[in-house]
Amino acid sequence: MGALFYIFSFIAIFSALMVISMRNPLTSALYLVLCFFALAGFYVMLDMQFLAAMQILVYAGAIMVLVVLVIMLLNISRIKKNGSDLHQKIIGGLISLILFAEIVLYVINGAQKKPAGIFTRALIKKIGNTQLIGEFLFTEYMLPFEIASVLLFVAIIGAYLFAKKKY
Amino acid sequence: MNNYLIVASIIFCIGAFGVIVRKNLIVVFMSLELMFNAANLGFAAVSNRLNLISGDIFVIFVIVVAAAEAAIALGIAIAFYREKGTVDIDKANELKN
Repeated sequence: MGALFYIFSFIAIFSALMVISMRNPLTSALYLVLCFFALAGFYVMLDMQFLAAMQILVYAGAIMVLVVLVIMLLNISRIKKNGSDLHQKIIGGLISLILFAEIVLYVINGAQKKPAGIFTRALIKKIGNTQLIGEFLFTEYMLPFEIASVLLFVAIIGAYLFAKKKY
Repeated sequence: MNNYLIVASIIFCIGAFGVIVRKNLIVVFMSLELMFNAANLGFAAVSNRLNLISGDIFVIFVIVVAAAEAAIALGIAIAFYREKGTVDIDKANELKN
């Protein structure tokens, strides 16, 4: 774990904290884009270059553009508070702390030690991550691929129905 | 692998806290995207460690599903704004508009 891992993790965690704590939703959206870039850096460190490119293209390039478009369209600014919600923050903080403790418990105690597959890092570097994903996506995982295309089609129709003014 | 999983769980819990606490519908959706990405990082780390390729495929499908869900969620946000005039989720307290 070199210094690059700590740099990326610091950027990711810092921008995640900024996402949930900024008052202006547009600033939250920009910090979320920064978090996506840090996560793409993680994917490159894990030898998954196709995933890193797809993350930036789809998440930072399409989804966040859509979110910023909707924020600008609805002209959302900060929401005025009409009372203290400290009890909500305390309960929320407790829930996420308990969740974090549970996950860390599982991670430290239950990690599998032996590799289970055949694609070692050297083999993936030789063949290429994109080629491997392409091969598997079109042979072994063809059914989820086709279902994903149907899902996207359904999402397009659903978004159109939501935006219509009257039925 | 443990380091990646711990970073992923930190981001997941930050996203969960954002979903619980924030009042703005768009910011709740963005915290949900944080949780998706933390799960993606977990999948990628395990796939890297266990010499598998199915973790990478699963990350691709999670990205696809998150994109479809983003379109629907923002459509809901627009319809909500059209009905209530705001995106404050405290105003969504009745079953009928």
